[in-house]
Amino acid sequence: MRRCRVLGLGSWVLGLLLAAVPSSGQSKPTNYKGLEITVAGIERSAAVGLRDCPPGSNTIRGLTKPGEEFAIVNLSFKVTPAFKETIVKKPVLLDASGKTFNTAMSFVDPGSVPEYSCGFAYRVPEGTKLGKIQIDTATIDLTSFNK
Amino acid sequence: MEVDRRAFIASLGGTAAVSLMDHEAKAEALEHWMEERLDEAVEQQSGAERKFPSVAELDAQLETRKYRRGVGNLFVPRGGADTIKKLPPMPKNATLKDFFELRFAPANHVLQSATRALKTGMSEEVTLACLLHDVVQAMIKVDHGWWGAQLFEPYIPEKSTFAIRYHAALRFYPDSEAGYEYPDQYLRIFGHDYTPPEYIASTYRMVLNHKWYMEPRLVTVNDLYAFDPNAKVSLEPFTDIIGRHFKQPKEGLGNDNTPSSHMWRTIANPDAPL
Repeated sequence: MRRCRVLGLGSWVLGLLLAAVPSSGQSKPTNYKGLEITVAGIERSAAVGLRDCPPGSNTIRGLTKPGEEFAIVNLSFKVTPAFKETIVKKPVLLDASGKTFNTAMSFVDPGSVPEYSCGFAYRVPEGTKLGKIQIDTATIDLTSFNK
Repeated sequence: MEVDRRAFIASLGGTAAVSLMDHEAKAEALEHWMEERLDEAVEQQSGAERKFPSVAELDAQLETRKYRRGVGNLFVPRGGADTIKKLPPMPKNATLKDFFELRFAPANHVLQSATRALKTGMSEEVTLACLLHDVVQAMIKVDHGWWGAQLFEPYIPEKSTFAIRYHAALRFYPDSEAGYEYPDQYLRIFGHDYTPPEYIASTYRMVLNHKWYMEPRLVTVNDLYAFDPNAKVSLEPFTDIIGRHFKQPKEGLGNDNTPSSHMWRTIANPDAPL
């Protein structure tokens, strides 16, 4: 029983330590009008479920054509007390050369839940190197996420 | 398999619609719903590509149907029922709100679409178009963009009419720049090898070069996300927009002698034999 408690405490401390160290796949948080935004990673896919942010239960699937792929930028959001309910523009993706790409997904009630994650999907030519993502005036660098 | 009761009931049109169904219809609907969820789960786990029917396969199913695909919702049994139900009477001077409550209900799809338009900062003309873009499907589904525009033309801004008329053509043409993806739902209902007929293609080309292209395009953008079975929506947030942009006739819709009054009368009284 005692050993179990010690083990349990050890796991809890280890969990705290791990949570405190940002993984190499995460960016530092960027603050936009009280929304703390962190890039959690990038994925590439030929098909993707498109849903608004924060995610509802409605998913529309996007399918690519030959030579295309979806670059999915996974963003984590934390709503701080400074955030006031407002319309937040769709994030725009810029590739390494500065070409812009739009997403079908939108922010809908971005302050409705305290924390959430969204994967914004962009239809890009296969192998496109990503430069940055812009949400209105906030810019987040993505270059470290290119393989 | 766990059943999300809220999602299931909402998919049938809400508790009011479910209460009108008999036991057999409910059982059939539940079985159909669970089959779809199971298929989705299997696809997600296996990473399998969805199989969509061809135009020829859909065409071959025609004579298994009890009614034609383009018929309006008011004219066919709903929610798995075998027979139609008596409709509630319309008030004498019917308003748009009356039609929403008594003929277009539950209207969940258009209410979701307009709610999303409102929350993503669309103009009032586009939001109104989103609210009205599919309600004519109560009367007819074929070419519903044109029918819908005709129904509302005497009462709403020209931009909203334009958006309603042409959203139906633009939905076949993806526009990533504007944030519109071709929905896989269309692969399922039109066939994976479907090519829009020439009148749709030429309409698309015309609208693409029109200064109001974005009005119908934004209806298609908001259309995609308006099938959420869990969304809670109502007409109330649109009261002001309707008040500002919908010219409500004092005689009531259908009694005002406009080019579309007969369409309102048809929706009000679809049981008239002639």
